[in-house]
Amino acid sequence: MAEVDYSKKRFLVVDDQPMARESLRAIAQTVGAFAVDFAPGYQDAIFKIRNNTPDIILCDYMLGDGRSGQQLLEELRRFDLLPDETIFMMVTGEQSYEQVVAAVELVPDDYIIKPFSPDKLLLRLDRVAAKKKFFASFYREKRKQEYEKALAILAENKGSEAGRAYRFETLRQEAEVHMAAGNVEQAETAYRNILEKYEFPWARAGVAKSLRQQNRLTEAREEIEKVVAGTPHYFDAADIKANICMAQGEHEEAQKVLDAVAKKTPRNYQRKRLLAEAAELNGDVETARKTLADVVANDTMPGAVSIEDQLNLARTHVGAGDLISAEKVLLLMRESEVMNMQLAQQGSFSALLALASPAKGKPKFTGLRPALLETPLPTNVRIDVMHAALNINDNELADRQTKQLMSGDEAKKVFGTVRKLYALHSRENDFREIQRQVALQRIHHEET
Amino acid sequence: MHQLLDVLASGVHDTKNQLFCAEAHIAETEKKHGIDLSEARYAIEAAAQRLSRTLTAYHLLRDGASLAVVPTLAEDLCSEIAIDQQKHLARAGIVLEVKCEVRDAWPLDRDLIADVLNNAVQNAGRHARSKIMLHAWNDDTCLHFRVEDDGSGFADLATRGTGLLVAERIARLHQRQGKHGSLTLSNNGTLGGAVFELCLP
Repeated sequence: MAEVDYSKKRFLVVDDQPMARESLRAIAQTVGAFAVDFAPGYQDAIFKIRNNTPDIILCDYMLGDGRSGQQLLEELRRFDLLPDETIFMMVTGEQSYEQVVAAVELVPDDYIIKPFSPDKLLLRLDRVAAKKKFFASFYREKRKQEYEKALAILAENKGSEAGRAYRFETLRQEAEVHMAAGNVEQAETAYRNILEKYEFPWARAGVAKSLRQQNRLTEAREEIEKVVAGTPHYFDAADIKANICMAQGEHEEAQKVLDAVAKKTPRNYQRKRLLAEAAELNGDVETARKTLADVVANDTMPGAVSIEDQLNLARTHVGAGDLISAEKVLLLMRESEVMNMQLAQQGSFSALLALASPAKGKPKFTGLRPALLETPLPTNVRIDVMHAALNINDNELADRQTKQLMSGDEAKKVFGTVRKLYALHSRENDFREIQRQVALQRIHHEET
Repeated sequence: MHQLLDVLASGVHDTKNQLFCAEAHIAETEKKHGIDLSEARYAIEAAAQRLSRTLTAYHLLRDGASLAVVPTLAEDLCSEIAIDQQKHLARAGIVLEVKCEVRDAWPLDRDLIADVLNNAVQNAGRHARSKIMLHAWNDDTCLHFRVEDDGSGFADLATRGTGLLVAERIARLHQRQGKHGSLTLSNNGTLGGAVFELCLP
């Protein structure tokens, strides 16, 4: 007997093959489903889920057009379109999908291999529903970002008899909550607790990520290399590795790693953003430009292309010396977008515009000068501001940014970029002097 | 070499999709007309399992495949074996009894272990007189699955066919904290016949 009344649940079947879609509908109706909707592909699925979230999603792994069910799942989570309460069941004839599920961090609630009987689907759906019920109060607190309360619920679950069936899920949720709450050291401990029980690739990758957040880069790199070597099909691990490489200043390796996986996942635009960043840091401006142009043109999810993406694209045009394209990107941004920018974005926007078209950008840039001198800014923004300041010989503004950059956590990452810009303006000696000052300050800091 | 494997895998994948369409069609017909065609569906699933098993065997014996380990509930695994086999065995007058005493989720390759157990139960079904027992339990270090029947036992415990070789390979690939899994065959179990026992760390 089913534990859930499936006739009251809204099903969504996602499959690009009409025959397979019909079959999934037939099976869903056999287990009692009444309302079964279809989505023939990725875009339709996102549209339908966004407008009316179903209770149960049966999604085929192969969606055609270079898209996979796994990618759909990742995208839904990225845009927060999939509540924890919704059941996402991956359906596949492909045995290799098991390898994906065993490795990755972001997994569906369950997966089922074709062919399967209605009874088997029923059993699996019941099981997922029971798990969701067990974690229901935890999901509520997590969604409200009440992390302390969420962790307390998990701690209680861990000790309970019913919790034994979910012991790995509980540990995993614990690690993820610590990560989300910014308790990176506790997250590391939680992931290591999982590894003590079993060497799951996603848990090892979790250790690497938490070490990266702690800026313990050499250790982080060691951990992620193990994961990449053991599970080459785990592409997220390649992303994490690239991220660590960039922090270490090894931009060439980062680009190489990302280039290889991006070829295998041509429609993953988050990965392409990362590739563009690595290429830009690596001085391969053409790849960065091409990749970002692809992102801006083809990441069709509404709201997916952000102000940052457009600023990044403009930056790569400036880097390539294509000032006309840079100006075009910046001036094509909607006025409402520009008006509502926060100071950091305004800083980048005006700096890049001042670089691309001094007549149009310089007044706004100099107007922001007092604020840019005093306010803490993200790394990218500091580089833009420094670049524009060097261009108009505002050495005080430029050197202030550089000093902050070189004493920050991302100094290794941006060292090459900064040095190159100073060299372009024949100020290598001044750059060396700033480095010396920062080093002295650090020694002084450590002594006291 | 890998290209050949890809060709085979893609063929198996397409075939399983087709078989799923057939099974869904039958399930729909059963519901519509209130009839039982579970034997037809059993035959379809058995065919698909056979295909997957062949691919797995090829993988394991040729290039040492890696496992896909996920936390798994032995109870769910046992229930699925029962769903797959109970009705079919009942038609031959054989009762499949399932006893699961495991409470903790356990890291294992769910699909491969399910297939190994399905295969063991099918084998037992060929020799059992009236009863098969699937029993799961654990101690501190190991998860055990035992399939036994009331038939005349293994004729020769030393020789193992492809199915058993693959089962043994799969068991051994399961490794944890320096230990690896094993497969033991014996006779004269509690039901008097053959005993197939998996131990997974």
